[in-house]
Amino acid sequence: MEGASYQRFPKVKIREMKDDYAKFELRDTDASVANALRRVMIAEVPTIAIDLVEIEVNSSVLNDEFIAHRLGLIPLTSERAMSMRFSRDCDACDGDGQCEFCSVEFHLRAKCLTDQTLDVTSKDLYSSDHTVVPVDFSDSSGYDASEQRGIIIVKLRRGQELRLRAIARKGIGKDHAKWSPAATVTFMYEPEIHINEDLMETLSLEDKRSWVESSPTKVFDIDPNTQQVVVVDPEAYTYDDEVIKKAEAMGKPGLVEIYAKEDSFIFTVESTGAIKASQLVLNAIEVLKQKLDAVRLSDDTVEADDQFGELGAHMRGG
Amino acid sequence: MGFKQENVDEPIKERQEEFSTHPSPVKKSDIDKQNLAAPVKSAVDKFQLVPEFLKVRGLVKQHLDSFNYFVNTGIKKIVRANDRIVSSIDPSIYLRFTDVRIGQPSVMVDGIGEELTPHMCRLSDMTYAAPILVNIEYITGSNVQKTIEQKNDVVIGRMPIMLRSCHCVLHGKDEAELARLGECPLDPGGYFVIKGTEKVLLIQEQLSKNRIIIDTDKKGRINASVVSSTEAWKSKTVIIMDKEKIYLHLNQFSSMIPVMAVMKAMGMESDQEVVQMVGRDPRFSALLLPSIEECASYGIYTQQQALEYLERKLKKSTYFGAFSEKENRVTTILRDVFIANVPVRQHNFRPKCLYAAVMIRRMMEAILNKDAMDDKDYVGNKRLELSGQLVSLLFEDLFKTMITEVSKTIDAILAKPSRSSRFDFSQSLGRDSITVGLERTLSTGNFDIKRFRLHRKGMTQVLARLSFIATLGHMTKVSPQFEKSRKVSGPRALQPSQWGMLCPCDTPEGEACGLVKNLALMTHVTTDEEESPLISLCYCLGVEDLELLSGEELHTPNSFLIIFNGLILGKHRKPQHFASAMRKLRRAGKIGEFVSIFVNEKQRCVYIASDGGRVCRPLVIADKGISRIKEHHMKELLDGVRTFDDFLRDGLIEYLDVNEENNALIALYEGEATSETTHIEIEPFTILGVCAGLIPFPHHNQSPRNTYQCAMGKQAMGNIAYNQLCRMDTLLYLLVYPQRPLLTTKTIELVGYDKLGAGQNATVAVMSYSGYDIEDAIVMNKSSLDRGFGRCIVMKKLSATNQKYDNSTQDRIIRPQRVGYDSERMQILDDDGIASPGEIIRPNDIYINKESPIITKGPLKSSMGLSDSDYKPSRQTFKGPEGETSVVDRVALCSDRNSNMSIKFIIRHTRRPEVGDKFSSRHGQKGVCGTIIQQEDFPFSERGICPDLIMNPHGFPSRMTVGKMIELLGGKAGVSNGRFHYGSAFGEPSGHADRVEAISETLVKHGFSYNGKDFIYSGITGCPLQAYIFMGPIYYQKLKHMVLDKMHARGSGPRVMLTRQPTEGRARNGGLRVGEMERDCLIAYGASMLIFERLMISSDPFEVQVCRVCGLLGYYNHKLKTGICSTCKNGDNISTMKLPYACKLLIQELQSMNIVPRLKLTEA
Repeated sequence: MEGASYQRFPKVKIREMKDDYAKFELRDTDASVANALRRVMIAEVPTIAIDLVEIEVNSSVLNDEFIAHRLGLIPLTSERAMSMRFSRDCDACDGDGQCEFCSVEFHLRAKCLTDQTLDVTSKDLYSSDHTVVPVDFSDSSGYDASEQRGIIIVKLRRGQELRLRAIARKGIGKDHAKWSPAATVTFMYEPEIHINEDLMETLSLEDKRSWVESSPTKVFDIDPNTQQVVVVDPEAYTYDDEVIKKAEAMGKPGLVEIYAKEDSFIFTVESTGAIKASQLVLNAIEVLKQKLDAVRLSDDTVEADDQFGELGAHMRGG
Repeated sequence: MGFKQENVDEPIKERQEEFSTHPSPVKKSDIDKQNLAAPVKSAVDKFQLVPEFLKVRGLVKQHLDSFNYFVNTGIKKIVRANDRIVSSIDPSIYLRFTDVRIGQPSVMVDGIGEELTPHMCRLSDMTYAAPILVNIEYITGSNVQKTIEQKNDVVIGRMPIMLRSCHCVLHGKDEAELARLGECPLDPGGYFVIKGTEKVLLIQEQLSKNRIIIDTDKKGRINASVVSSTEAWKSKTVIIMDKEKIYLHLNQFSSMIPVMAVMKAMGMESDQEVVQMVGRDPRFSALLLPSIEECASYGIYTQQQALEYLERKLKKSTYFGAFSEKENRVTTILRDVFIANVPVRQHNFRPKCLYAAVMIRRMMEAILNKDAMDDKDYVGNKRLELSGQLVSLLFEDLFKTMITEVSKTIDAILAKPSRSSRFDFSQSLGRDSITVGLERTLSTGNFDIKRFRLHRKGMTQVLARLSFIATLGHMTKVSPQFEKSRKVSGPRALQPSQWGMLCPCDTPEGEACGLVKNLALMTHVTTDEEESPLISLCYCLGVEDLELLSGEELHTPNSFLIIFNGLILGKHRKPQHFASAMRKLRRAGKIGEFVSIFVNEKQRCVYIASDGGRVCRPLVIADKGISRIKEHHMKELLDGVRTFDDFLRDGLIEYLDVNEENNALIALYEGEATSETTHIEIEPFTILGVCAGLIPFPHHNQSPRNTYQCAMGKQAMGNIAYNQLCRMDTLLYLLVYPQRPLLTTKTIELVGYDKLGAGQNATVAVMSYSGYDIEDAIVMNKSSLDRGFGRCIVMKKLSATNQKYDNSTQDRIIRPQRVGYDSERMQILDDDGIASPGEIIRPNDIYINKESPIITKGPLKSSMGLSDSDYKPSRQTFKGPEGETSVVDRVALCSDRNSNMSIKFIIRHTRRPEVGDKFSSRHGQKGVCGTIIQQEDFPFSERGICPDLIMNPHGFPSRMTVGKMIELLGGKAGVSNGRFHYGSAFGEPSGHADRVEAISETLVKHGFSYNGKDFIYSGITGCPLQAYIFMGPIYYQKLKHMVLDKMHARGSGPRVMLTRQPTEGRARNGGLRVGEMERDCLIAYGASMLIFERLMISSDPFEVQVCRVCGLLGYYNHKLKTGICSTCKNGDNISTMKLPYACKLLIQELQSMNIVPRLKLTEA
């Protein structure tokens, strides 16, 4: 029964790591794994987002649903999300916001009393839990902190008022994009570029230059000293085939050969700020592992249900 | 500098040649210094004139101008023409109107005038109208003592006021003031508010009046016809060539009259004179000869004989008005009806004879040379009738009616032998007839004016407020007057003369295709202009008066006839001189800017037109191909020291109508001008209208696609106006996050579409995905929808009135029960019994807890008022889609015209796109949402770009919407470099549209492929896709057709009373019909039981008692528990069988018509 083991040992090399941005290489694995990781990051890593809004007073220009929708899309810091319960699985409460295991309550009170337009922003949301607050972008370098007033929810003119109670819950991006922690998750195959140096030498400098410039991105350059074409940034290559076409048009097919390495991927992960980009990757791996556990235990569905709840059911196509 | 000045007027080409032909080094250095430093002299960018034009004229200026003309001038003319009411009993008693004017819009509330604003009227169902004030002078007093009294500002009625016209409160207001009045600054005005609804008087297109039109009739006979229209009379005169003889056709005569007889009746007794008048060309004489002979054969030689002959031909029954007995009836008809537009002064029929001769001559020319035929579809032969003219007709009719009414009442008073009180003329004025008449006609749109024989329906329409563009498009719509004859294609075809006047793209599909048109961006429609000064000016400029010319002299070879508004003034020996003199006067502003002078070489005529309804457009004047507008003019315009009117006044620009355009040689661009060029277009994109102007790169699309978009742009959801949330429309579609198109056009900026957009910029990938994208369906990204793409708000109005009844009872609205039966359905009610704003309303919820008295007629039983038991509940319940949550958005209370309280609710429903909702791009590419797919399954690029929607590439080859592809490229470039790109029609040469080369360069600069294709990975597998995918932003519109409003299914449900079959239509929860064709399929298949089940069991089964003897239907006697045949009077031979109820009905209906269908039963 035991087949040959296809086990591989993928390697991760981190290139760049900021709070909301990560770039890393994933090597020695398959596209399916890389894609699974990407998909989980987009759709299955849980975060906290406002899910229920009770509006007490709203005399603003935007209607209730409009504001509720906008509130939902505000990213909240969700480090706690992995340890929280889904409110549908929570036995301690009925999801009314009183329960600390599954929900966080927010309050917003704003009234404009001056003639100047009042911007109601995510900073005006008061959280019952100091670990779950609207994401603050002001500390990210480069911006003046005083100008950053959070995400605008609505603008009020004199006399208009907005008062509401909102409950944030844990959820995943599959249910609604507001729970997706990922702004951008993408990967590319690492290109492997071979320049046929002999053939390249047959080109004049002018030709080389025009060939180098035929690429819309700056992949190649000419060494100012040796006047040889060198690969400056292989990852800038967008698989657009422009250089290959150009080479053919110049009558030099085979001037360059470009392959995609089938087993190495360069990931770019940008987070919404709900969780750190690095944490996003780790959480994704965690969720992926849980899913694989569910697959392993799927013979015994009852047990799987006990252990993984919804996740197990989902794996069986629920 | 001197060098520059010298060359300023030279075209660029010559300049360049100069460079190459003077290679001497000395000269070159000279040029270098002086010239290369100076900016390259290109064609002057005249684009800025377009916004300036629109600023001055506005998008609906034609409506406003026309209405202003009526209100300021037209109404005064009408009143001046009918200024006396004289008693027929005592002619010394009279009333005279000395002046008339329109006041400020106001309404009378308890005898006090209250100022009105348009928005107030919209909200409280009032008419936005202003009082018509007259100054009068009249005789009062008793029989003996008569004094003349004067009274000022007597109100005789209320005139609905066109919004933004000169009498509207919005006139000349700036944005802040408009906002205070609750008005949108981008709203064009030009419509009326009648009983709270906005009504547009559509522009009516008709054949021009008082002009000779040469045409063929159904039998192929060539005829010359004139539709005459004067204040006094309207008639149609046709001169026809039948069997080589010429006849006159006039409604007053029973048959066709030989034209020579008519000429003789008008005093042209000599045949020679007639021949001379027509022209001495032997070919003409030859054509005229049979007619002369025919006339002679009837023995008509003298005027008297001719009149007698005509007398016999008169229609017997024509009750032709009151004409004095001493005059012959025929003479009167010839004077007043025959070519009525040619006046007969002091019995001088000569002008009329000459006119008839010219008609004959024109007709003969057409017979000899088919090219001389007039084209009825030619825009120069058309007149557009605008709201001012129509309202003026209406007012004239009503005013005259009022005068007759008043004189009748006066006569009635005076006829009384003993008058007790002093009678006052002014009291009998100021009835409601004018107010009501105007209001009714404008609100129904049925113009029924007997006096002018005007019976037309659907002249007004409710202003389309579906989107901002729909509103604008509606205001520029031109509807045809003649019936929509389906077969002829001529009127539907695109006329070359429509260029620049009517939009070539914007016309509906189907029935009205090509008949309903839309004005182009810069079109102006003229209003009437004073004729007499122009006529005397013509005589001053050397026109030889018709009176002084003999028939022979009329057609001398080197002279041209001068025809002014269809009237022959005389002839001129130097027509070109005359025309250029007139034009010079016009350019100098001495005569009206819209007067057109048109030299028709072929007809040897100079046409001068100053009548209203001609379409014209501004053009830049060029002298020998050199534009009069120079750089410094445009600079002054930009600096704000020069306005569009200054350009006009300085003779840099002039308006040309369609006829005069034929005398001009118009260059599209300054660079293309030759020495013969007389005019230069301002901007080529102005040939399109408002709706077509939204399309980016329309000149790259297949033309029907632009037409489709023109229709679809009006259905797109977006913003309606800045005041959209303060309005109380019955139905309003809004977009939650409307955007400004990334790829704009100049028209978009000019009309304000960038401020009130109706769509969103979606990143589109052109690829196949999932198979749910066949037949133009699009695949949408769920995350995009989550984030608000395509989300819309639907607002519906519900209304209720608190009715008052005759017996002084009225409905009441009571506090809801909070517990017990029905309390569930009353949860959203406030304590006052009316739903409160912000509450979520579900189907079957009560939104107003109203009760009405049981007895509404007759006297009340008790004087104590009604007790609770005297009321029956008449609650109103909300009917909406099941399972959807709508919200009560606003509640408004106001009193309506009958001073009942009227309560309006606005119900709001926010919808996100679902499968089946309709979307379209701006290129006539509509499609429904085929499926919604999770973002992780969507393809992505290595930059992390993931499309919002996927469109199938099969949409492109057959539609050939290259413009859409360029829009994608331009949008992508725009996103990457942060600049809105332009795609104005024909804009590439003038820089109002970006070239694909430039766009590609931008793309490459930002690391994209020049062709807009990206390398994309599959979201499902993570593998790269086989092909490069064309991906970028395209502006997508969400159209108003949504599944939620259309989906429908039914099991069992309501039935029609008469036939007992299921009802029809979604609104009545109807069934889905198995129609004839479906039935045929089932018959062919042989599924008889299925047919039986569908057509009877599930439709209208009915059990009947059939008598086996007589075959008629009986009935079931429930006492005896048997069937009885009412014909045989027994129940012996009764069988029971099932029949469709409709069949039973048919049998009975036939019986009622004395047809006896008998059923013959056999054992099955």
